[in-house]
Amino acid sequence: MSLQGETALILRGARMQLRVIGALVIREMHSRFGRHYMGYIWLFFEPLLLGVCIGLIHAWRDRPTAFGPFEFHAVGYILFFVFRGILARATMVIRMSQPLLYHRSVTLPDVFYARHLIEFLSCTGVMLVMLFGLYVSNGSVPESPLKMALALIMLALFSQGLAFLAASITTAVEGSERLIHALTYLMLPVSGLFFLVEWLPDWLAQMALWIPILHLFELLRDGQFGSRFNAQYDLAYVWGWIMATHLVGLAALRITRARIGLE
Amino acid sequence: MALEMVDVHKTYVTRGLRREILRGANGFFARGERVGILGRNGSGKSTLVRLLGGVEAPTKGAIRRSMTISWPIGLAAGFQPMLSGADNARFIARIYGRPIRETVDFVEDFAELGEYMRMPMMTYSSGMRSRLSLAVSLAIDFDCYLVDEALAVGDTRFGRAFAERIERSGLILVSHSPALVRKLCTRAAVLDQGQITFYDDIDEALATYHAL
Repeated sequence: MSLQGETALILRGARMQLRVIGALVIREMHSRFGRHYMGYIWLFFEPLLLGVCIGLIHAWRDRPTAFGPFEFHAVGYILFFVFRGILARATMVIRMSQPLLYHRSVTLPDVFYARHLIEFLSCTGVMLVMLFGLYVSNGSVPESPLKMALALIMLALFSQGLAFLAASITTAVEGSERLIHALTYLMLPVSGLFFLVEWLPDWLAQMALWIPILHLFELLRDGQFGSRFNAQYDLAYVWGWIMATHLVGLAALRITRARIGLE
Repeated sequence: MALEMVDVHKTYVTRGLRREILRGANGFFARGERVGILGRNGSGKSTLVRLLGGVEAPTKGAIRRSMTISWPIGLAAGFQPMLSGADNARFIARIYGRPIRETVDFVEDFAELGEYMRMPMMTYSSGMRSRLSLAVSLAIDFDCYLVDEALAVGDTRFGRAFAERIERSGLILVSHSPALVRKLCTRAAVLDQGQITFYDDIDEALATYHAL
């Protein structure tokens, strides 16, 4: 086939896939939230509410530091919510999307992309609202919104790769869901939501930096108030994780798709 | 333009138990043909339909498609129970790249569900679900329709409209009802012991099926 012909074919395929993902996004919204507008409000309010609560708890309890504890924790939690939102239900996705897979043009990754897009967009929206609220209440402006946006995007991608793996593993190995959920919860204390790498003793920092999410929290904080502390992160390391989890995860999904028997 | 099955095997393994459903099934379905595949209950009809529709992959062998074929049209397969009939139709129109308004209008006309179009599909009776799923699939305009029977395609206004519409397309009907096959198909085959045997003459196929 000529180069022109091949390009046209690829573009057609891409258009079709975007159309399928769009249809899946709309369907996901309808079935999760109903056609009534109230559902969408919850999509938005859940992370916002949780972020604010966590922020308030820490503002009340913590000794004052250079960074307002409310800001530190509330904004941080919204980033964590991307991870939580994507992974909490990853293990259920395949089972719940069986009717969708009856249609050949709907592939397993498509179903995930649609879900993840919704989570990502809603968390981004919440983040914007939170930052705007902080600006209005105490005039704080993030030093580099670009870095914050990058942190959101990379965490979404990292979570996606893990979601592919989690879904494949739980389909193949009976009873592994508990383990996956436990691991997700364990992530909370070590992810960097509650601390900066700078605060850790060197030996602990070296170990902690093996955790990819920690780098993204450092990136987030760097974007928020980077000039006030020494941010330590290595994005190439995180991209490596993203690539690897996607490669293995997508392959695992292919195998899973061939193996599942639909009713 | 055709659908071809080449040495297709399908084995299910559940809890250590191996069940071989299809053992080297072959078949050739040319575009525009209306073929009925007869099989007793448990012979693997549903499995066959899912493989032909690309919903599942064969354990061994290949299925080659060079024409558009519908998803397996059964009672409610491919539809989401909590969405309304209309929303399901819209979703499917989007997936297959068809104009949404026209698709929903066609389905509304053809399925004659009235107010139920806006109610969740889980409130439908099985007859209504059949009508909706047939109507939606007809709205999409495939080269070939893949139908797993158990449909209310009887001698009703709907049944006749469906039969008439099907005359102009290809059909692969998998059924255990010889009467339905005779009514809708021009060629027939028998699914038995995990293999498919085609017959040039429908009566021969029906006779063989009876003798099983």
